Amino acid sequence: MALTKQNKKRVPLVGPALALVAVLAAPAMAAQPDGETIIRNNCLACHSETGDKAAPFSRISEQRKTPEGWRMTINRMQALRGAKISPEDKRALIQYLADNQGLAPTEAEPYRYLLEQDTNRVEEGIDEGLGQMCARCHSGARFSLQRRSEDEWKRLVDFHMGQFPTIEFHSLARDRAWYDIAKNETAVELGKNFPLITPQWNSWKTAPKADLTGRWRVLGFVPGKGQFDAWMNAAKSESGYQLQLEGQYADGSKLSGSGNARVYTGYEWRAALTIDGVKMRQVMAADAKGGEMAGRMFPAAERAIGGELRAVRDQGEAEVIAVMPSLLRQGESAELTILGQHLEGDVSLGEGIEIEKVLERDDDSIRVLARATGSEGARSPSVGSASLEGGLSVYQTLARVEVVPANALTRIGGNGGEMEKVRAVYRAVGYSAGADGKAGTEDDLRLGYMPATWSIKPADEVAAHDKDEDFAGSIDAHGIFTPGDAGPNPARKMSANNVGRLTVIASVNDGDAQVRGEGSMLVSVPDFVRRVLD
Amino acid sequence: MKLNTLVKSSLLAPMGIAALMSAAPASADQEYLLTVTRPGQLHVIDMATNKVERSCDIPGKFGSGSIALAPNGKTAYVLSNMTEDVYGISIQNCDITFHVAQSEGNIRVKSVQSITVSTDGTELYTVQNPVRHLPDRFEILEPKLAVYKIADGMGAKPVRSFPVERRITKIAATETGEVILGGGDVTAINTQTGAVRMVTALQNWDRGPLWAPPDAFAMHSQGEQTNEYLMPYSTAKFEDESMNMETAQWWWGMSRVNLTTGEAERMETVPFQFIVFNFLTDPRDSNILYGSFNTLSKHDISKHETLIVHEMPHTYYNLNISGDGKTIYVGGTSSDISIHDSETLDKIGSIQLSGDMTTSDLRVATIRD
Repeated sequence: MALTKQNKKRVPLVGPALALVAVLAAPAMAAQPDGETIIRNNCLACHSETGDKAAPFSRISEQRKTPEGWRMTINRMQALRGAKISPEDKRALIQYLADNQGLAPTEAEPYRYLLEQDTNRVEEGIDEGLGQMCARCHSGARFSLQRRSEDEWKRLVDFHMGQFPTIEFHSLARDRAWYDIAKNETAVELGKNFPLITPQWNSWKTAPKADLTGRWRVLGFVPGKGQFDAWMNAAKSESGYQLQLEGQYADGSKLSGSGNARVYTGYEWRAALTIDGVKMRQVMAADAKGGEMAGRMFPAAERAIGGELRAVRDQGEAEVIAVMPSLLRQGESAELTILGQHLEGDVSLGEGIEIEKVLERDDDSIRVLARATGSEGARSPSVGSASLEGGLSVYQTLARVEVVPANALTRIGGNGGEMEKVRAVYRAVGYSAGADGKAGTEDDLRLGYMPATWSIKPADEVAAHDKDEDFAGSIDAHGIFTPGDAGPNPARKMSANNVGRLTVIASVNDGDAQVRGEGSMLVSVPDFVRRVLD
Repeated sequence: MKLNTLVKSSLLAPMGIAALMSAAPASADQEYLLTVTRPGQLHVIDMATNKVERSCDIPGKFGSGSIALAPNGKTAYVLSNMTEDVYGISIQNCDITFHVAQSEGNIRVKSVQSITVSTDGTELYTVQNPVRHLPDRFEILEPKLAVYKIADGMGAKPVRSFPVERRITKIAATETGEVILGGGDVTAINTQTGAVRMVTALQNWDRGPLWAPPDAFAMHSQGEQTNEYLMPYSTAKFEDESMNMETAQWWWGMSRVNLTTGEAERMETVPFQFIVFNFLTDPRDSNILYGSFNTLSKHDISKHETLIVHEMPHTYYNLNISGDGKTIYVGGTSSDISIHDSETLDKIGSIQLSGDMTTSDLRVATIRD
């Protein structure tokens, strides 16, 4: 508890006013000497002091990482290098390193999915060479979320050779001078693409950090339960924020929870809450002004089953945050809920949309019965002076259904084995064809999430021959796919385990018709290594 | 289909053993099948009875199960202790007569399968991959061929060493005083001078743009029945310089080194239709190859044809063959060795071991009378 103890001791000395200024300017930012002391006390059995003030500790000072990245590093030092560090010192050290050697928001932004543990995707834009040299074993985001000096990237190559002695014998390694390429080409490229010193970090490091205290209007999705809206109160605590959350799901049932949040690097929101008895995690990024946060929430015990999460801080102004559902079929009456804060004044859903009845109304939620008579297209609903651009879409015909994630990976498990099953959750997004009348073109209008009926089929002839659809798992009415049991299955060819390749189908009603969308599912073997970041 | 095969093999099993036993008196040579199982046993299987004759405990944590044979067949050299140590174990009484701990001080040394014994039985060779463990970093050192005198016994230290390329897996000694090194290419190193010559260029072959660079890889040593070293590879021949993977012809190929002369032949063998983890030459006919993985297969490379594909009940990485070429032993991966008639590939028996072979070698030691 070195960090907080010293802070406590210092507060009376500097006086309440100065302490308050410090907290507002850099909430949860550790003062430099404390972090360095923890490093001196815990890390110098192996690392050395360089004498260089700009980079005081060997290796440590030549890297920048996300909070999760630093946690992985310290985990490895404990598990493999014999480091002994108390839980309090570890928490404080992660805070210190993420605050002082973190990533600027713009540096982390393209790869946030990995921090959010949203890994059901085929990564795009990863350089082919780096893909073969690095991303054949882990995600491209894993190394793209690190910044190192060129020498330090080279040491990372040597770490891989030392830690994984067969690395140069793998497929896609043994066919080339792997170590030579890794050290003399890949590390150099990484040093150029992801250097230690960047203008973004230099600017972010010195920028004032927002205070995230306050009342947040939160919208999210919990698999199996659906969309919810809530209020989350964040009150300052010793290590970050204390949280209270109250809200309701779209079906009217309540949700309630409490917990704590830490903010790293001035914007990385990491919260642990217990909501209705389930331990949940929030991973969000705050914008520079501290007015909005966006990310994902998932159960602590099952990070694959999560949903998107958005929070808008109550700053006393009227704001329309969402309309749920966000679509309305021409000529049909439907119930819509406008969600926001300080919703006062006239309600409009946009041109050609008639509000037949206001069913319920209060300060942060307005439920209406509405009917669209106008043309297809996006509308900007408003309440009083507040409006939400493109918050509602009117459509005539549902042109196509996109299944998200388009590509997912689940893992067999359970059945007395070491590892739990890794499930996946699917949602269906509807589109209308847009002005050109053709589905699948750039002007398609995204309507939003739609209720769907879910089914699976074998991905191809080979999967059909192996009866993957019978063995690999099943999907429920909520779009949650549960893979099969782990272990050899005598009913399968070669007693294979219950792996498989499936197509997941969403069927969405459009009037009397049905529109189908498909996603790809790989049901794989258990992964016995649990990484903080994959 | 599977049921039929099982019924047939169980009927045939007694006949197969009877045939083997009746064949035994024709030769005074005794063949033993050797393999390693987790957690650390060397099994000595009498190939006349297909029974485990003895199981020797191997010191240290499981390595990779790599086995090198003394030319007289009496000692097996096993890679142990996470592929850092080599133990010489008598297959006749389990006595440990030789031990090398390659790692020393802050330098950790691993061998990736690479151990072999000189054809006169006096020297043991390993390819070493050293890494210096500094307090806060690793330093990757150059790999080398280390030469040990077997007469030095327990605690032997290298008597010579020479630099070699990275990525060397299985190695084999020739009668010409060289060690064949299988890596990106197949090369040979003179064990006295360290001079390295190209035996078969694979990664560095020069066959023009229409041939894809080969993926050459071998984890297991066989070839004791034919005195050869076989490095399989896969490649693709493109139709034209558009290099369309869809229309390319996919091939298995091999570099096959005659260990008497050190000379090699390289060729495409059969079309790549399924994965084969190890190939083996029939001692009676060098045009006949057998392959194992999810299937046991038989190939005629003179015609580039796959003759028989026998579905296996699980994956078997490895295979070997009796000296008369009649009986194939398929092992590795799990805990059972499957015995097959080389003519039909029908299963004729099975040997159950006490643990999983995983990546272990399956070798034949012949003790000549």
